[in-house]
Amino acid sequence: MREVIAAPLAGLDLRQHYGHHQSPAVRAGGLIFCSGMLPVDPQTGERRHGTLTTEAHVVLGNLKLLLESAGSSLDRLVQVHALIYDSIEYDVLNRVYRQYVANGPPARTVWTAQIEAGFKIQLDVVAAA
Amino acid sequence: MTEKLQRSAIEPKNPLLNASRNSNLPHVPGIRIGDYIFLSGMVPVDPQTGERSHGPIAEQVRVTLSNMRHMLESAGSSLERVLRVHVVLADISHMAEMDRVYREFFPVDPPARTAWSMQLRFGNGCEIECVALAG
Amino acid sequence: MRAKREVIPLPVRAPDTASGSGQPLSMAVRGGDFLFVSGLTAVDLKSGERMQGTTASETRQILTNLKQLLDAAGSSLDKVVKVNVLLHSMLEERNMNEVYARFFPDQPPARTVCGARLPDGVKVIVECTALA
Repeated sequence: MREVIAAPLAGLDLRQHYGHHQSPAVRAGGLIFCSGMLPVDPQTGERRHGTLTTEAHVVLGNLKLLLESAGSSLDRLVQVHALIYDSIEYDVLNRVYRQYVANGPPARTVWTAQIEAGFKIQLDVVAAA
Repeated sequence: MTEKLQRSAIEPKNPLLNASRNSNLPHVPGIRIGDYIFLSGMVPVDPQTGERSHGPIAEQVRVTLSNMRHMLESAGSSLERVLRVHVVLADISHMAEMDRVYREFFPVDPPARTAWSMQLRFGNGCEIECVALAG
Repeated sequence: MRAKREVIPLPVRAPDTASGSGQPLSMAVRGGDFLFVSGLTAVDLKSGERMQGTTASETRQILTNLKQLLDAAGSSLDKVVKVNVLLHSMLEERNMNEVYARFFPDQPPARTVCGARLPDGVKVIVECTALA
């Protein structure tokens, strides 16, 4: 069965704030598929543009909130696609990311992509339920 | 209540292909969870030396998929059990060449695939990841 | 029990690549609980002919095709759990989203959208994972 995971805080409801036609996450088959997480304020939904470092902290903090509200956690991440706006930030990404996946990191692929609203990072993740 | 699935990290039998460990990166070569194996993106690495393996795109794709085969087999799976592949090329004009080699690795009932181009690190011509059924 | 992998036979013609013999992929593969659908571009499913257009028209063609593919595979649009959309330009996000919303009216799947270099002047690629 397929179950939509609602945003645990209003700011993470991107459909409401930005019209992005997506649910924050969907649980099915023992896995949780999350929509690409962006650097938005989890309370207000406002864009939190900054450096790759500050944006990465916001994104990972948001994912922690979302996954924990769904009974999962960052420790149960299975796969991550880390989208960054320029591959030059690879080491910076790692420095922040490492802090959040200390208890056994998941599989990961880093993609250099054009991200909406000029954000520097977006994380697309799958976690175990 | 259904029991929670447990994840486990997979590693290649050939330690030279363990980029996560060798370069001290915050990921693992792959994760097994329930019926599935999710692999981290793989780039062209010479399995004899562990060094980057550049050259014509055909060779890069060949060595990458060969290493992917090794990774899956190390985990008790195989290329035949791959469900979906993502192929990222540094140069979109390499699609036809990539296809030509790719076909050799998935000759029958190939997996689902999405292929596109993005900027890649370190001069790599391709980066390939997949989801497969566990063994 | 070992999970089974199955390529879903579909009554469609995959688009040809430059090599002329069809792309080396299956449009949909079932494994375990899920159906993995290849990245779809705007084509006529019967003829394999490219249906080039605007981002909006290509999105509409793709999602119309996706509905057909999923139904033929015993799944459906409302069983889709995750979608990845690749756009040739993020400026087109809104145009894509407007069309997309019509195909997933309730409880839409999770989704990630980003911009990348797409093959052959294609404006949008949509891939998804659905419950089988």
